[in-house]
Amino acid sequence: MSETADADSRGMTPRRDAYATIVRLVAGGIGEGIDRLLAMSNELDDADVAPSGELVGPIHADPTLMAAVGWVSELPQTITAVGTTSYRMAYPVIRVAGVAVDTAAYLAGITGVSAFVAGVTEPARTALAQERLRLSDVGTAEYARGRVLAVRAFESSVNGIVGLLSESEELGDLVREQTLGITGSAIQEIRETGAAADRLTEGIFRRLGRRPARQLPPRPAINS
Amino acid sequence: MSKNVEHVLNGRTAGFVTRLFAYVADAAVVAGIVAIGGWIAVLIDDVIDQVGLDLRISLGAIYVFLIPLIIGLYFVMFWSLTGRTIGKWLLGLRVIGHDGHPPTIGRSIIRVVGYGLSAIAFWLGYIWVLIDDDRQTWHDHLAHTWVIYDYSRQPAIEFTEQV
Repeated sequence: MSETADADSRGMTPRRDAYATIVRLVAGGIGEGIDRLLAMSNELDDADVAPSGELVGPIHADPTLMAAVGWVSELPQTITAVGTTSYRMAYPVIRVAGVAVDTAAYLAGITGVSAFVAGVTEPARTALAQERLRLSDVGTAEYARGRVLAVRAFESSVNGIVGLLSESEELGDLVREQTLGITGSAIQEIRETGAAADRLTEGIFRRLGRRPARQLPPRPAINS
Repeated sequence: MSKNVEHVLNGRTAGFVTRLFAYVADAAVVAGIVAIGGWIAVLIDDVIDQVGLDLRISLGAIYVFLIPLIIGLYFVMFWSLTGRTIGKWLLGLRVIGHDGHPPTIGRSIIRVVGYGLSAIAFWLGYIWVLIDDDRQTWHDHLAHTWVIYDYSRQPAIEFTEQV
């Protein structure tokens, strides 16, 4: 029964509840915001741990969003892999070059031209050794930097995704419905508990006062 | 709550526990309002101090004396406007007068004064609802009001429509 019809049936003038605005601003705003963030987080988690199989839901139904979520989830690994691969590819080349120079110098020594060859190979070997050390340092630094960049890129991308999701009207409606449903259920639970406790406590007191139990609470003695 | 129970209880006088829950919820709301008011008063006092004005009296001290008025205003305003405070709305209760409408401002003032009287004798005035045939407290008798269950609409629907 609607409030208006119910109020009319009792001869009461229906009125608009003024405090609902306050409740909407406080409870609605905070609850909706938290629920929205949690729902987004859960969707991202689900996309990460369960990429295979048929997925359903407002996000999964949107291929653009799903592609964006997949891209973001793989971004850290991609950036780290690029840094690591370039380091690993460069390092062996330099090492092989160094070994080649050492071998050439050794062979030159055996053939008795070491004094002449050493004048040429020694600076090259020193330069290569230094370059190898430098590349090693650069590779290590790039690897660490790659990890940091990956985290930053991931965070900024997640912010972007969250922004994108928050603009989704469909998701907003879904979150709103869920929030209101949970709030409404909680309020009904409290009301039900209260009404049951009313009956119980009154029953105990009436029994203590040796008064007959009554099936229903009385109606107010209003002058209608 | 099932539709049947809701339908049966609707319009009947409310019991002690539900009213106690509503009272606790209202107390929390009022405490919040009073705390915010106090914070603002202290803030204004600080500004006055920093400006260098000597008013010879602290706004915070004045505010302490205004607290009972704020509490009374909260209840009187909600009762006379809608018959429900925030706590009573949460618990699905409504205060009505002898004509079935929300109490007038005058009766609301009498009722809020009655709150104090009901509390004086170890809250006996509140507990009275447990033994009273009409489920009325002392302040209900004083103001000639009743507190009834009013589950006119499902809370979620009500909330959705308000939003």
